[in-house]
Order: sequence, then structure tokens, then C-alpha cells
Amino acid sequence: MLAEQIVNGLVLGSMYALIALGYTLVFGVLDKLNFAHGDIFMFGGFVGVSVLALGAPLWAGAVAAFVACGVLGLLVELVSFRKFRSHDAQVTAALSSLACSIILIDATQKVWGTEPVALTLATAIRTASITVEGLRVAWVNIGILALTLLLMAALYVLIVRTRMGRNIRAVADSAVAAELLGIDVTRVTQQTFFLASGLAGLAGVMLAVRTGFVTTELGLTFGIKALAVMAIGGMGDLRGAVVGGLLAGLVEAMATQLGLGKFGDMAVWLLMILVLLVRPAGLFGGLRKETRA
Amino acid sequence: MADAPVLEVRGIKVGYGPIKAIRDCSLDVAAGETVAVVGANGAGKTTLLRAISRMLPLEAGEIRFAGQSVAGRRTHLLARDGLLHVPEGRGVMPNLSVWENIRISWEVRPTEIAFEAALQRVFERFPRLAERRMQRAGTLSGGEQQMLALARAIANPPRLLLLDEPSLGLSPIMIAEAYKALRQFQADGMTILLVEQNVHAALRFAQRAYILKQGEIVAQGTGEGLLADPDMLKHYLGSK
Ligand SMILES: Nc1ncnc2c1ncn2[C@@H]1O[C@H](COP(=O)(O)OP(=O)(O)O)[C@@H](O)[C@H]1O
Ligand SMILES: [Mg+2]
Repeated sequence: MLAEQIVNGLVLGSMYALIALGYTLVFGVLDKLNFAHGDIFMFGGFVGVSVLALGAPLWAGAVAAFVACGVLGLLVELVSFRKFRSHDAQVTAALSSLACSIILIDATQKVWGTEPVALTLATAIRTASITVEGLRVAWVNIGILALTLLLMAALYVLIVRTRMGRNIRAVADSAVAAELLGIDVTRVTQQTFFLASGLAGLAGVMLAVRTGFVTTELGLTFGIKALAVMAIGGMGDLRGAVVGGLLAGLVEAMATQLGLGKFGDMAVWLLMILVLLVRPAGLFGGLRKETRA
Repeated sequence: MADAPVLEVRGIKVGYGPIKAIRDCSLDVAAGETVAVVGANGAGKTTLLRAISRMLPLEAGEIRFAGQSVAGRRTHLLARDGLLHVPEGRGVMPNLSVWENIRISWEVRPTEIAFEAALQRVFERFPRLAERRMQRAGTLSGGEQQMLALARAIANPPRLLLLDEPSLGLSPIMIAEAYKALRQFQADGMTILLVEQNVHAALRFAQRAYILKQGEIVAQGTGEGLLADPDMLKHYLGSK
């Protein structure tokens, strides 16, 4: 059913958007890609599943994933980005963060094994649904949509209205000028990594609750799609991450609707190639051109 | 006020690897004084300011700000201690609004001035910024961006203002306007060290000046005194 697929697409897209926001926040501040981000998302799912397995409530699993992934993000910043500040070090930082991501996958497998780990949450919670005008919508989907919406609104307020957000945007504009003004660029970078990684961790828990299990492949199959989403939306642009995420989710869901399920995983990447051919800077890109210092 | 100068630079050497940009440079700036360092393109003016704000390490010599050595202090902490360095290109944040640019420069250092009062002072000096307060700074003209850069020093007055070529890239009218604003800073008693290629504008403004040539201070005097000796200026600065 079309309406059902649209809901699916939006839910999927909101999770892509949440992960893509992290990629794009870090890129905005450092002009560098954090290749560990997709697997920090994956790790968030494992943290959530493990905390729930202890009998903790869902919210505790989410908070634990947010904090654990945030701390992991700080670690990645320290080892893969702190020393490589200059523009010339882009590739070095990217490679180093890629190494972090592979180590993270391996370590997760060492602890949890290579098989999917099932979520222990009352099935009733996962399958409960309501029917509106003949459209059956799972409560899980409503919850995910509502929470991502809330998180995006909170992020918007944080970035646009608060001193911390102002500092993040100032460093994104020019780290040198920000430092000369008295802004602690290292601290702002850490805040950015914590926030970006924490959001990815929450997305990991959301996906686990939706599908009922986690695997160590999720970073490479699901998380990395958010990289395409960032490119579609425009590197470093927050609105672009949200719009790109929803668009990618919808396109993927439509592929399924049209019986092209096999191409579902490809859809996001095809969309990225098409968007970049038409708009190399992405849908919202190009606005921050003059900011390159 | 008669105690240690706000800034003391003693025999510093600064380089970029094999390139020795500053070979030997010593200068002082006393409280309330306005001092210029003039020199041709590539003389080392920007490098000198970068060394003072600790963006570059010293190879030799010493720099003291407000009586304390800057060695081992981090750039942003020096800034919070009142060393405001307006870099080459002005360093305004293009994607932040005019209001946000002013807000950041006000809130980053502790101050007794309330923000509304700071904002009002800025807008009194630069009414054009008031009209554009919600605009992205990147959409301002060069002259307006220069005002916004100078507005930092009004919003939260520094102990020492370092200016890297305030006239760079501006039309003659805008240069005159920028120096008019600087003369008001001077009248307010602000301590300023500026570096310029625009020798005449800088020497007419500054109380004292140094001439920097290929990384060395080769002459010094009052602004007027140096201006009165065109032959020497020509000798050290090439044309003009
Ligand atoms: N980042 C850098 N790397 C290497 N050499 C530099 C760098 N910046 C400046 N230089 C060199 O140092 C010297 C002084 O430059 P600079 O301080 O920018 O001069 P000015 O500001 O007086 O024009 C020049 O010879 C310049 O080529
Ligand atoms: Mg220069």
C-alpha cells in the first residue's frame, strides 16, 4: 500500500537524517569526514540492546547509547582528528577514522559475536499499532518519527539560539578567527563530536527497536547511507541532512513499492549520483562557499 | 600606567620551516599608545602579529603581554585575557548575522558591560551595522565588514588591539572611514598595534611607528617624524 510505504519511507528517512546530521555537523566544523560515524551508529544499537537485556526501560537504553556513543565520538576526535587540524591532513584524518571504524566493528564482534543479537523488548511493544482511516501504523514508527522530530527541533534551537551553537557555527566559519576571538576550538570540536555521535547512537537504538535485532554490519549497510544523504543535502548543511534523509527514505520505500525491492539498497546511492550530477554541492550546498579559510 | 608596557617584543625570530620571516624584531607598546609597524608586502607584518597571539611559536626571543610572557599560553586564552587580534581578511564570521558576530565578541571575554549597552555603543559608532543587524555578515560590503571587525573592540574593549592591514582591499573612502573609527578608539585611550602596507595612512594615525624590512626592524620614530623623511621611507619601503 502506498500510504504505508510513505510512512515507512519517512521513518527510514528520519533515521538517515539523524545519522547524516552527525556527519554534517562534524564536516561543518572540521571540513573533514568522520568515517567512524556509521559504526558509532551501529555500536549505539548494541549498547541499547544490551542495556534493555538487563531489564532496563527503553529510555534508559536510549540514554546509555547516547552517552556511550558520545564518549566514543570524543575518543575518535582525540585519536583521528585532534592532531590533523590542517586542511592538508584531510586524507590522514579520514584514513585514521576509517581505521577506528574497522576496529570498532571488530571489537563489537569480539564482545557480541558475529550473529545478529535480538532485542529483548516485549513483542507487544514492538508490534502494537493503531489504524487511522484504514492505514495501520505501528506505534514504534510513530515513536521514531516523533522522537526524531523532537531531536531535530532541539538541535535546531541549540545550533541557532544558544551560545554553544553560535560557537559551533563560528568555528565552522573560520576556526582561526574563532580562536583569535577567544573561542576554545578544541572544546567546540569535542562538543560537536559528542553531539553528533550521541545522535547516531540514538538512531542505532531506534533501528534496533524497529527491526528487533542488531548486527555488526549495520554501519556498512545502513549507517554509511547517511554519508550519501549528507552529499545529497549539501555537505555541512543541517537542513540538507534532514531533507536529504527524508528524500532518501522515501525513494527507498518507493523502490520497494514499485516492486524494485532488490534495488532498495542501491536507491540512495543512485539518488546521490543523480543529485550530484545536477547540483555538485548538493541540494542546499554552495551557501557556505565563501567560508573556506 | 607608568608600569610595564602592555606589549614587549624582545629580539624575536619566527619562521616557517626554512623560511625566516622575522629575523630580529623588538618593540614596545605602552598603555594607551597607538603604534604602527609598516613594511612592504612580505616584510613579515602578519607573521609578527601571529607570533604575538601565539599562532606561531618563537624560535628565539621573548614576547610579554601585560607583563607576562606569552610562551606556553594558548591563543584563545590570550584572547580572553584581552589580546584582540583582528587578522588579515578581518575574520568576521560570514554565516553568522551581524548581531551574532557582535554577540560572540562580547560574550567570549568576561566584561562588566551589559550586552544591550555594548550593542548600543556599537550601533552609535556604526549606524550602518544597526540597519543590517539580522543580515549574514558575508553579505556585507568590505567596508561594512571592516566596521564589524572593529565593532568587536567596542562591544568588549580589549587591553591590546592588534590590527592586520585594516585598509586592505578597501576603497579610499572606506579607508578614510576605517581610520576615522580608529581615531575614535585612540581618543578613547585604547592601546593599538597595527601593521600596514598603507604607510601614509598608518603613519598619520600612529603616535609611534616601526619600519619592518625583510623581517627586521630597520627604523623607528614618531609617526610624524617618519612621514617628514620621505627619502628614508623610500629607501626602506621601495616606492612612494
Ligand atoms: N604559511 C606560510 N608558510 C611559509 N611561508 C610563509 C607563510 N606565511 C608567510 N610566509 C612567508 O613569510 C614572509 C613574511 O610573510 P608575511 O608575514 O605574510 O608578510 P606581510 O604580512 O608583511 O606581507 C614572506 O616571505 C612569506 O612568503
Ligand atoms: Mg600580511
